[in-house]
Amino acid sequence: MSVRLRLKQAPALRLDLRGIVPAALAGLDAAAIERLPLAQGRQALALAEFFDVVLGGDGDTVAFEGDLSRCDRIGWQLAGGRIVVEGSAGDHAGAGMTAGELHIHGNAGLLAACEMAGGQLVVEGNVGDFAASAQPGSLDGMRGGTFIVRGNAGERFGDRMRRGTVLVFGDAGDFFASRLVAGSIALGGRAGAHAGYGMRRGSLVFAGAAPTVAPTFVPAIAEAPVIWQLLARDLARHGGPFADLAGRRVQRHLGDVAAGGKGELMLVE
Amino acid sequence: MIHNGVAIDDTFAEAFPMKATRLLITAHNPTWARHAAVAATGFATSVIACGCEAGIERELSPDETPDGRPGLSVLLFSMSGKELVKQIERRVGQCVLTCPTTAVFAGIADGEAVALGKNLRFFGDGWQTSKVIAGIRYWRVPVMDGEFVAQETTAVVKAVGGGNLLLLARDTDAALAAAEAAVAAMKRLPNVIMPFPGGVVRSGSKVGSKYAALSASTNDAFCPTLYGLVAKSELNEQTRCVMEIVIDGLTEADVAAAMRAGLDAGIELGAAAGLLRISAGNYGGKLGPYLFHLHKLMGAAT
Repeated sequence: MSVRLRLKQAPALRLDLRGIVPAALAGLDAAAIERLPLAQGRQALALAEFFDVVLGGDGDTVAFEGDLSRCDRIGWQLAGGRIVVEGSAGDHAGAGMTAGELHIHGNAGLLAACEMAGGQLVVEGNVGDFAASAQPGSLDGMRGGTFIVRGNAGERFGDRMRRGTVLVFGDAGDFFASRLVAGSIALGGRAGAHAGYGMRRGSLVFAGAAPTVAPTFVPAIAEAPVIWQLLARDLARHGGPFADLAGRRVQRHLGDVAAGGKGELMLVE
Repeated sequence: MIHNGVAIDDTFAEAFPMKATRLLITAHNPTWARHAAVAATGFATSVIACGCEAGIERELSPDETPDGRPGLSVLLFSMSGKELVKQIERRVGQCVLTCPTTAVFAGIADGEAVALGKNLRFFGDGWQTSKVIAGIRYWRVPVMDGEFVAQETTAVVKAVGGGNLLLLARDTDAALAAAEAAVAAMKRLPNVIMPFPGGVVRSGSKVGSKYAALSASTNDAFCPTLYGLVAKSELNEQTRCVMEIVIDGLTEADVAAAMRAGLDAGIELGAAAGLLRISAGNYGGKLGPYLFHLHKLMGAAT
């Protein structure tokens, strides 16, 4: 059964929504859902203090309604089912999710998809800094799944990411894919300074404007048509600036040589 | 049962369970894809001494391959999954990895996953990288013309090997013509290969031998050379040349369809072209679980 949670008004302090996932709400009636505790600072308050609960409809979906930009950890460690945010989300949206789908119609705050390991996260708007990266102090960032940002991304996008596929339709801030361990990130718009800074492996596809390539990258003299076709055809499914990738050529730069040099920047011509 | 002058024997072909996989080999152009596929399926006529039976299933146009390049699909069959894994690694490692511009992909998705590029990647001496695209891992191995891309695994499925037809003809020309026509008809079908040279085998065997060390020996009942000499010959003065076509397929239905196509092609040539009789090889039905009765095959589509 689907659950709709309508935010009554923007909370005065940040609200932690971890645990409000389809599996946790399955089988609960409206009253039980209203009693679920939500952390706000040091307090645990009942869900009904913040949300109106409406049950109904088929499917395994939790829908949030309203501007949830002060609500953090939506879809935290999501392991199945579907969460829809019909507005903006706060920080840590989809962090640590392993399966299922999280769809945010507005923007997401800091650290969206950080340490995401599976499933699909779609943000129709923009994401803040450190999206697809690691939790502070953690060695590995995003490690699986598909993350789609239809707007712009902040700084340090994909920091320490090591697996998974990411598409950013808009622009990205400075240090795009810094310290990337592996994985694939495609950017439709333009990247800020120091794209691929310290990346070890992985592929960055620049479908829009070519970034400034750091001197720690070397131009590739060999083509890689097979892997480009495999990657481009997969990215093309998502449309937008990626729709015609398979028919275009790429110029590759290998690096970051300062970190082993097994990564590549793919500049679409 | 006689069709167009060709006698169809009331007998059956006996086939065995095998393990199989399909590989898609692509290259910069069809010529080099074919070089790789021919090499990878070479010396693979019989599991008796080749380790596997393999052949080219069909050509693939660029819109049918994962990387948009021309290619071929090949099928490999072995008696055990373990032997098949060994053969895949050897054949892809020596014949596809080595062949200019090629890439190799799994042609079957469902089944037990076994190594394809998983071990070959170590040829990269540490420079190999992998890329997961849409949930599938590919290995990229640097080579002198760029990079060799191989899907990490391919799927092994249960299959059927040893379907066959025996074409009994008036002379060598007629037997070859009938065999070539039957193989051409079978090649048009998916999921089957005819592993022998040109799809045809002239040294059909029977189980056992007078020599204790040999488990199989020449099928004397069908040898025109021995007509009148052996105690029981299947031949007569008119049937002086016999060819066999062996068929391996992914399913029982695929083998049956290929046998039926071969029967039809032979019947179309008819006795006028010198094909007098069609029979099949079996071991009395004791060995193989799959029995393909020629009369049932003829009845299935009429």
